Amino acid sequence: MFTVLHLFRTERLPYLRFVALTITCCCCILLWGKIALSQQPIHLSMLTSALDAAQGQSLVAAFEAQNPDIKIDVVEGPNASNLIEDLYTSSFLLGDSPYDLVMMDVVWLPKFAAAGWLLDLTDRIPANDLADFMTADLEGGRYDGRLYRLPVRSDAQLLYYRKDWLQQAGIQPPDTFDQLMAASKLLQSAGISKWGYVWQGRQFEGLAAVFVDILAGFGGFWVNPTDREVGLDHPEAIAALQFLRDTVTSGISPPGVTNYQHEDARRLFQGGEVAFMHNWPYAYPLSNAEDSPIKGKFDIKLMVHQPGLTSAACLGGWGIGITKTTAHPDAALRVAQFYASPDAQRLSILENGYLPTRRSLYADPAILTKYPYFSGMMSVIDNAVLRPPIAQYAQASDILQRYLSAAITDRMSPEAALQAAARETRALLAQE
Amino acid sequence: MTNSSSQASTHALSTRRIGLAIVILLILIFSLAPILWQLLTSFKTTADIAAIPNVYFPKQLTIEHYTEIFRRQPFLRYMFNSGFVAITSTLLCLLIGTPAAYALARLKLPGEQIVLAATLIVTLFPYILLFLGLLELVRTFGLANHYLALIVPYTAMNVPLTILVMRSFFQQLPRDLEDSAKVDGYSTVQMLLQILMPLTLPALVTTGILTFIAAWNEFLFALTFITRESMKTIPVAVAQLSGTAVFEIPYGALAAATVIGTLPLVLLLLIFQQRIVQGLTAGAVKG
Amino acid sequence: MSKTLRDQERQTGWWLLAPAVILLLLVYAYPIGRSFWLSLFTQNLGTELQPVFTGLNNYGRMAIDGRFWQSIGNTTLFTAISVLLELLLGLGTALVLNQSFRGRGAVRTIALLPWALPTALIATTWTWIFNDQFGVWNDLLMRAGLIKTGINWLGDPHWALWTVIAADVWKTTPFIAILLLAGLQAIPNDLYEAHTLDGASPWQNFYRITLPLLMPQILIATLFRFAQAFGIFDLIQVMTGGGPGGATETVSIYIYATIMRYLDFGYGAALVVVTFLILSLAVAIAAFWLSKLRPAGDWR
Repeated sequence: MFTVLHLFRTERLPYLRFVALTITCCCCILLWGKIALSQQPIHLSMLTSALDAAQGQSLVAAFEAQNPDIKIDVVEGPNASNLIEDLYTSSFLLGDSPYDLVMMDVVWLPKFAAAGWLLDLTDRIPANDLADFMTADLEGGRYDGRLYRLPVRSDAQLLYYRKDWLQQAGIQPPDTFDQLMAASKLLQSAGISKWGYVWQGRQFEGLAAVFVDILAGFGGFWVNPTDREVGLDHPEAIAALQFLRDTVTSGISPPGVTNYQHEDARRLFQGGEVAFMHNWPYAYPLSNAEDSPIKGKFDIKLMVHQPGLTSAACLGGWGIGITKTTAHPDAALRVAQFYASPDAQRLSILENGYLPTRRSLYADPAILTKYPYFSGMMSVIDNAVLRPPIAQYAQASDILQRYLSAAITDRMSPEAALQAAARETRALLAQE
Repeated sequence: MTNSSSQASTHALSTRRIGLAIVILLILIFSLAPILWQLLTSFKTTADIAAIPNVYFPKQLTIEHYTEIFRRQPFLRYMFNSGFVAITSTLLCLLIGTPAAYALARLKLPGEQIVLAATLIVTLFPYILLFLGLLELVRTFGLANHYLALIVPYTAMNVPLTILVMRSFFQQLPRDLEDSAKVDGYSTVQMLLQILMPLTLPALVTTGILTFIAAWNEFLFALTFITRESMKTIPVAVAQLSGTAVFEIPYGALAAATVIGTLPLVLLLLIFQQRIVQGLTAGAVKG
Repeated sequence: MSKTLRDQERQTGWWLLAPAVILLLLVYAYPIGRSFWLSLFTQNLGTELQPVFTGLNNYGRMAIDGRFWQSIGNTTLFTAISVLLELLLGLGTALVLNQSFRGRGAVRTIALLPWALPTALIATTWTWIFNDQFGVWNDLLMRAGLIKTGINWLGDPHWALWTVIAADVWKTTPFIAILLLAGLQAIPNDLYEAHTLDGASPWQNFYRITLPLLMPQILIATLFRFAQAFGIFDLIQVMTGGGPGGATETVSIYIYATIMRYLDFGYGAALVVVTFLILSLAVAIAAFWLSKLRPAGDWR
């Protein structure tokens, strides 16, 4: 580089300058011609877990077949969803985001929206287009009353139970916490089931989600999103944690449950060792597969509750949003609308078995033929509760997880643990 | 009498030698076993990798994991990024650190003790203490996903080492050389470039290798300041490698990626081990 | 005449020094100073990422933050155990490498290998070795009959920190070994000979000659390693990410999460400041010891 400049400056070789100029001009003309003549498709980039990338290949193909002017570049990330969240977070925080589209879990939305990283979709999508979506799923895409995400996949936690064993023991599926405890003890003492009830006790987001279900069944709350009141040290919350603790101490749950994630619980249930399981719907098709020992022997229902109260399932699910800084907001919107469309959802559901976010699909013949249990799932989603839609959710959840874990592993009493959790959460939320 | 005592001493000597051999063997196993296991894993078939109990002597070797990582990910690009950033920052570091080292070794400057002490102390602080401030700088100057976002901190983090190693080198050089150059009318800068430079080359190589290793291996800044796939360096790219099945991590591909990413360093070490040892001891012990 | 020459030399000196000093100020001094300033503000998602002056509020929050104290505890434990083990193993390796035997150069090269490799890649290697199902470590232990079922080394809160420490010891023992080896080689042989003639045993030799003369190197190596271990990030981030359940969360991991995951910049800055102060205190103490061991002013 330096020598080239040097040659230019000293007029020792004047013809070289001419040659260089000619070459540069030719290159420019060629490049300009190439750009002008070929219509390059717009490339839109999106980060998903490697699993989602593999499962979403047919969706990308279908979209690109219909829209030859747009190419979707799916970047494969790690499979753990909190790592995907961190990758999105650092790329937005840094600026110069490589991603135009954001495939996001329901709990990331408040953070991404509050940080101002997402394009406001409220005025870009006519209200009519939203009518078919399940209310809870749509609500999960809103922050401060503005819409930032179109839901493409729904999810809500359920109680799985062995209907054959309950029949054998002559009891009804439980509706309350006491009934769940009693049924578990009965099945265990009768030697029908090794364990009563299995859930996710590892210190991770899954534990917070389990607790949200239990908390709702006891009539408590975590953080009130409107006045930001923290309810973790209220009697209902302490009773809810006491229930989880009791399942371990009374031997209803296996001692290892305090280290379980979703797959540990599913393996135990599918292996026929436990009567009740708290889990997401993904376990249904797996447990009901041809090679599953419990095929046709189990059913699902909403999580139990205290007498006189109702239960509510913790809402999960994924949706698609648009990066605020994208150079192609209109193209990105077309992709987002495609992913949320009935056709795309049907295609993905038939391949992968996730729950739809549209009412119409819960009555879709093709889907119901393949997954008959979906018919009952619509009411579950309708009654689902969001985890606190606050911007600092990740931080609040990590605080809660730490103290829940401390209590269920008997390092702290439920009361002391939740008091500490409430104190830290209040300090966190009082930051304004 | 004499005979038996000498016998006893040869006996003691031989047990001593056997003991030494065993300890040396342990050191070799300790240092090599994990690397060799990873190397073996990278050539095993996926079935052998997931076999229980483990397969120590696979009947079949494969290079599919190597072809897979190059096919699925821009691995050459990661290698280039790492190499480019490491080499550039190494050169910059020598360019900036060597004159400073000379000034601290030879020219009597007021407050040079303070500069030297500060340089020493600075090497002790972990990068995590710097990254919040640097993150702000990167955002302010729009350096996100730019090589400069890595080159500047990598240069800076190696300047202290360069100063320490080069300073101790300059102090070992005979002064007469410079004095006579000055008598001959060279200015300080001329003298540095034309007389000292050729002599310093070995020391520069030593420092450069240490700098290169540190820059190639850096993780925190590369993780934070680069989010675009095409700009990632090897350590970050490998750490983020993941599988396509629900709970499967691609151990074979991961092993292959590790082998590829460490290979340049293994070669460097084999070629320059003498210099690396010199540099390490000069930088740390004499500092 | 000589005065101007001296002035000129001095001026050149400052020019030679200036780029390095500016760079170090920019990359080291500015970020730390900036953290001190920022720690007085609340700047997080609650304030829509705008800084709001809140005085010492962040430090007050830290006092009741159980997770912060846990991470300090983890960091201290990690640092203390790993540096101690590395010193012992490093000293042993150095003593062996100081013996004369055939192929010493090759052994030294191999012993240095772990130090030269990228920590992030080594972390994936160890993650694989300590895998609960397919890991070779479990396999070896089971074959030796020491355990019956595989241990989830990185997934079990009781084991995870020790597993990470093992990987760190492997990675950094060579560094200490090489530093100590240089120190050993500087000890003149006559000292040992004279002592041995006086009837001293090898152990007495080690205790009376080697150890005292090696003390400066040991202290410097400890100081270096202490500072590095206290800020350990890449190894843990890749192996466990601080999990399970915070069992391996060190201060750096917590700082990183606070800033990059929670976007809690003010609080993150306060964490940086406290960590900086703790480290500075430790370094000051160590430097004081060091200066007592060495004649003052002899920086070489």
